[in-house]
Amino acid sequence: MPFFNHRNNLIHAGIAVALSAINIFIVITLDPPNAAQGIFGNIFYIHVPVSWTAFLLYFMVMISGIMFLTKKESIWDHRGLAFAEVGTLFMFLILTTGPIWAKPAWGHFWPWEPRLTTSLILFLIFLGYFMLREFGGNTEQVSRYGAVVGILAFLDVPLIFFSVKFWLPEMQSHPQVGSYFDSGNLFPTFLVIFSLITFIIISTLMVRFRVSILKQNNIN
Amino acid sequence: MLVHFILKDLKIELRSKEIITSMFIFGLSVTLIFALAFQVAPAMIREFAPGLLWVVILFTSVLGLNRLFSLERDEHALWSWSAGPIDRGTVFIAKVISALIFVIFSEILFIIPFFVFLNLPIEFSFFQLGLILFVGTGAIVSVGCLISGITLQASQRDVLIPILLFPTASPVAIAATKCTQLLFNQKSITEWNYWLLILGSFFVIFTLFGYLVFNKIVEE
Repeated sequence: MPFFNHRNNLIHAGIAVALSAINIFIVITLDPPNAAQGIFGNIFYIHVPVSWTAFLLYFMVMISGIMFLTKKESIWDHRGLAFAEVGTLFMFLILTTGPIWAKPAWGHFWPWEPRLTTSLILFLIFLGYFMLREFGGNTEQVSRYGAVVGILAFLDVPLIFFSVKFWLPEMQSHPQVGSYFDSGNLFPTFLVIFSLITFIIISTLMVRFRVSILKQNNIN
Repeated sequence: MLVHFILKDLKIELRSKEIITSMFIFGLSVTLIFALAFQVAPAMIREFAPGLLWVVILFTSVLGLNRLFSLERDEHALWSWSAGPIDRGTVFIAKVISALIFVIFSEILFIIPFFVFLNLPIEFSFFQLGLILFVGTGAIVSVGCLISGITLQASQRDVLIPILLFPTASPVAIAATKCTQLLFNQKSITEWNYWLLILGSFFVIFTLFGYLVFNKIVEE
């Protein structure tokens, strides 16, 4: 039965699309967080919640990997793959919105800022993860290998972050919530946008999760 | 068991001499290309040399690791020992030690032409350079052995190892280059010991992680 023929799925997807529209409206109409940057600063309202989401999803890939290796239940493999796919999509959004903001703020599209660099490296590791899942061997093998790479990628995060941070200490001017922006504490705004994004993620995850199971059943 | 596995790899290498020879010749060729390419700016070479050295080491390590793990694929050696009551974690540690021996041996061979071709002044402690090479190479081979184990059965093995290894080992590339750069600039060890700490942490974390998960990677 097609996914959207199910009434609840259709309602959920409809709400997700409506919330995305509201989200874009909020991001555009809010005052810029830093007056000097004008409208370019507004991209920060989407950049920060998207970053939280992407790292949360990659964290969930690690958790799914640990669960799969310990419990050996294929459901965790499907979850891990769905988290990785949606996480990589959001990582791509970080890598797009970050440079758009960085150019007017710092004068370069790519300033080697630690968080942005960590995102790029994780993104590359996960591109390798998808290649491994495609060419790594039989289904049972790639599930195990995928779980290991998912854990390995997240273990690498603090090492990447601190090495880039020490490498370019002058990049510590990265905006910190409450200190850099005119409007003071933006945490509640970010939290609202994050909640809206979460709804879209759940919808996307449901679709990807179902596709992964259908693919598996088709192969078997 | 650990010693037996290391001795097995060393004995095969002693008879064939293919891993160290290919790594040495490859390292020498890459060094030659770098020396020719950077002739346009001889004054800058001292600044670039640490980075070039670690690029050569990373490339030669991929070559060595690929061949070292291929030994387990030849004649289905992997299936022979994985059928026995052998702790796979121990096999992983043995592979890390064998790889470390091979890569360090080839480094000793091509580091002299590296300094000669690039006309680098030798005004630093050999012991400290040895320490950086040991910890940095250990960090590369720890994660490299894990990735080589994962891709052992993959159809696109030759491509997958660098695709997964290079982004994962990027903290090693940064930390090792910084260590070497500060050493070449005659800075005291107290000024670069935190970089050594990052390399050491990477080495320990991924060796332990590999030890824990290798029995999940190699299953009958």
